[in-house]
Amino acid sequence: MIYTICKYTPTELLASFGQTCTVLDRIPECFDRAEQTAHPNLCGFGKSVLEAVLSGGVRELVLVNCCDTIRRVYDVLQRTGACDFLFLMDLPHEACGCSRALLTGELNRLLNTYATYSGMEFSLPKFQAAFRTNAKNCGPYVGILGVRVGRDLERMMARCFSLPVRNLTCTQGRCLNGDSVRAAGTLESALDAYAAELLHQVPCRRMDDETARQALYRDPDLRGIVYHTIKFCDFYGFEYAEIRRQMDVPILKVETDYTRQSQGQILTRLEAFSETVSGPAPETGGSKLPTEGVFFVAGIDSGSTSTDVVILNQDKKIVGTSIVPTGAGASAGAEKSLEAALRSAGLRQDQLARTVATGYGRANLGGGLEQSVTEITCHARGAFFLNPKIRTIIDIGGQDSKVIRIDGTGHVINFVMNDKCAAGTGRFLEMMARTLGMGLEEMSRTGLTCREDITISSMCTVFAESEVVSLVAQNKDVSDIVHGLNKSVAAKTAALAARLGMEGDYCMTGGVAKNAGVVKALEEKLGVSLFISDEAQLCGALGAALLAFDL
Amino acid sequence: MSHLIDTFGAFVDRQAPAHPVRARRLLIAAYEAKKWQMRLAPDRGLPPSKRELCLIMMQSILDCLRRPEHSAMVSLFVPCEPLTALGVHPYSVEGLSCYLTGAGAYRAFLDHTVEDGVPETLCSYHRVFLGAAGMHVMPAPRFVLHTNLACDANQLTFRNLAGRFHIPDFAVDVPFAHSEEAVRYVAEQLRKMVRFIEDCSGQKLPEEALRAAVGRSARTAKNYRRYLSLQNDHWLSGDVTSELYAAFMNHVLLGTPQVERFSQMCLEDVQNAPPRSGLNLLWLHTIPFWQQPVRQRLNFSDRVRIAACDMSYEGLVHMDASKPYESMAARMVYSGFNGSAEYRVKAALQAARTVGADGVVYFCHWGCKATLGAAQMVKQSLEAAGFPTLILDGDGCDPGNSSDGQVSTRLDAFLELLEARNS
Ligand code: SF4
Ligand code: SF4
Ligand code: SF4
Repeated sequence: MIYTICKYTPTELLASFGQTCTVLDRIPECFDRAEQTAHPNLCGFGKSVLEAVLSGGVRELVLVNCCDTIRRVYDVLQRTGACDFLFLMDLPHEACGCSRALLTGELNRLLNTYATYSGMEFSLPKFQAAFRTNAKNCGPYVGILGVRVGRDLERMMARCFSLPVRNLTCTQGRCLNGDSVRAAGTLESALDAYAAELLHQVPCRRMDDETARQALYRDPDLRGIVYHTIKFCDFYGFEYAEIRRQMDVPILKVETDYTRQSQGQILTRLEAFSETVSGPAPETGGSKLPTEGVFFVAGIDSGSTSTDVVILNQDKKIVGTSIVPTGAGASAGAEKSLEAALRSAGLRQDQLARTVATGYGRANLGGGLEQSVTEITCHARGAFFLNPKIRTIIDIGGQDSKVIRIDGTGHVINFVMNDKCAAGTGRFLEMMARTLGMGLEEMSRTGLTCREDITISSMCTVFAESEVVSLVAQNKDVSDIVHGLNKSVAAKTAALAARLGMEGDYCMTGGVAKNAGVVKALEEKLGVSLFISDEAQLCGALGAALLAFDL
Repeated sequence: MSHLIDTFGAFVDRQAPAHPVRARRLLIAAYEAKKWQMRLAPDRGLPPSKRELCLIMMQSILDCLRRPEHSAMVSLFVPCEPLTALGVHPYSVEGLSCYLTGAGAYRAFLDHTVEDGVPETLCSYHRVFLGAAGMHVMPAPRFVLHTNLACDANQLTFRNLAGRFHIPDFAVDVPFAHSEEAVRYVAEQLRKMVRFIEDCSGQKLPEEALRAAVGRSARTAKNYRRYLSLQNDHWLSGDVTSELYAAFMNHVLLGTPQVERFSQMCLEDVQNAPPRSGLNLLWLHTIPFWQQPVRQRLNFSDRVRIAACDMSYEGLVHMDASKPYESMAARMVYSGFNGSAEYRVKAALQAARTVGADGVVYFCHWGCKATLGAAQMVKQSLEAAGFPTLILDGDGCDPGNSSDGQVSTRLDAFLELLEARNS
């Protein structure tokens, strides 16, 4: 079994030795070995290759000189001698004549090295017979673009969309027809033809001339793009920005670190995106809403810090609300919050005609729920209900921050969320408040005025904390420091908003909307005023309750 | 960074979004003022060679900003003799980023790249410049020359810049292997590159002029190697900024008469310097020259200094002026930054011996994956050969990616360790 990582690998050549090639795709539990032998700040995929080999089980590995990370992975593995057969095939950056000759040389080198290592003979007819053509796909689909996705993530994506999903990243979408190789009479001419076929595939971002990549996102059958990037991999971010600028097709950027972490957040985003591409999932056969008379619906927003509930009557009037801390379990939190809301409305649970859940914990709430919808769709619906002029919603919660663009009917056009890092979220402010020894409430007031304009340059929470500590040591005014922190959150959020293009009116929701200092800094940074409703924190639950009427 | 620089930088940052040309003029004025200060009241601590270096670099930066239409944007490892022989000015992206950070003007540029979708893990030398270019503070040059050596960031950034400025771009592809075949492959591309330059500039490059330039490069390389070997037993004090700027001299300006003269002055200075009295550090990779704890410890100190930095001596291989293309290609192919990291290890070991290093600092610049990935290999090999090695994480260009406290603790502990070893 020979492991490979890239569509430029000459798998047909290796197959002619009777070997099967498999894409190396192991998601490790941790990156300890990789970080000890290389460095933590490499992409998760590169580290996963190190982990896979160093933990045994990968005896034969053919790498391609893809990027800085893979070069170093090769160097480290070469030193450890953990593979029986380790080969790095150089890959030119162009497809011109000289580059083709260079690649032909590499193919020859691989052939000879493998023959010597294995003691096996190379067979030209077997090589020529090794080409397989893939069946042509047609019809509408959602494309996965960007850098490689592991099998797990690909499956998750496939489950989220009603349309077929096509993986067009590093390891998939390979199609060599082999005609020119089969027509060649000698090994030399066969390898030369093979090099040309390999180099003329749809180029990846590593190639100098990537014009042909446009075919990937200008396909009329393409209904949506999930654009995958991996943290510390820089090849693909530029292209995502480019596509977003040029194309109208809905696009969602998903950044992972090639681990199983944050799968929950990714699922929420994929589901919300699927709602954008093809509308919310069809009704799952829940109870019917009465067409007339008095009835009630509830929306539950099960967030990481609080669980909020809104109860509406048949006229979409709010009759009961509650906000309770989520506590240890999402389901217990939801029960408590629902009870409290029912109490405030003077109702019993059996009087609710329908309940819709949203938020992180939505999948974990017990029975009695007709439907769950992502908080993105809910926030949009809630905010639009509170103020129909709103086109951009900025939501900063405890764990994440997001910006949602909606159209004139309250439907989501596009959205972005922060990555895993805490910078720019409520959690960042909480940690800084603790460092400064003050409460959030106090912090909200303190940052409103400043005498000295301090800039906190670190986005990273850990570094920002040490910056704050040193500012305190320099006897800087606390209100100036808080002002600097507010500006930092505002800058991070404004950058997120800029990714969607600016369009007013704006509203702000989520817990941080209560922080007057951040609101002011954000208004200054964006140059707009933010609409903040008294119900700002209940926006998600309100949206869920409103959606109960539509589902 | 000093308060004055911070204030100036913040002022440029505020001007940049609405008045990019005004921001550029402010920078030009500040650099011009600095140049006059260097001329009239040079830093007395600096030896004459380093004073000369500061002037040459400052002039080069001013030329890019003032006469972009006579400049070609280049990445650090592109051989520039064909440009300078034709009087086209090399416009160094990494160099400009250093000068922007040096002037405290980087925050608005970095923020702009986030809005533009540039990955936050991309090398900050590139991000600062991409931001400044995206905000139109940096002017458009005539054309672009770049290479995949020494990192992927080059490819991404320069391709993006060429597109952004709508100017032609030429890429030199350097293979992974250190071989004569690779030298021929690169030499062939350099010939094409010269034709590209001739087309873009409308001038013909006489072979004689190119040979003369490569001849200067060869002599410069020889002088600089000799200078490094004398660092072993002479104590020439200096500062980290000029140590880093030497990297630009020995790359983008290599082959010019000024740089040849600079290398002669280095040699004279070190020959006249007193015997070595403190710790010699070999510094690998880029230097966070703006960072206070680094400056405080390493600038003009009797205790410790950077005796050599691989960014400034790498590529100074033997060159033959009668084969200018092969000589320039050999610099790229046999660079310690090309191919397997084992070459970098080997070059580091050799340099550590040449300068008689007491210790080695391997600087892991945030986002430089080529360097980060080799950190443990380099440490292992150098320590096995008796050179204590500090892996120092930080950022050469974006103060937001590193913390002064962490850097100072690590450097201090390392210096204490080296001193304890020597006593
Ligand atoms: S980026 Fe290109 S070279 Fe790298 S693994 Fe993907 S397809 Fe292969
Ligand atoms: S994910 Fe990106 S950085 Fe990592 S190995 Fe693939 S191309 Fe290289
Ligand atoms: S520091 Fe590293 S990533 Fe940045 S330009 Fe230099 S080699 Fe490339």
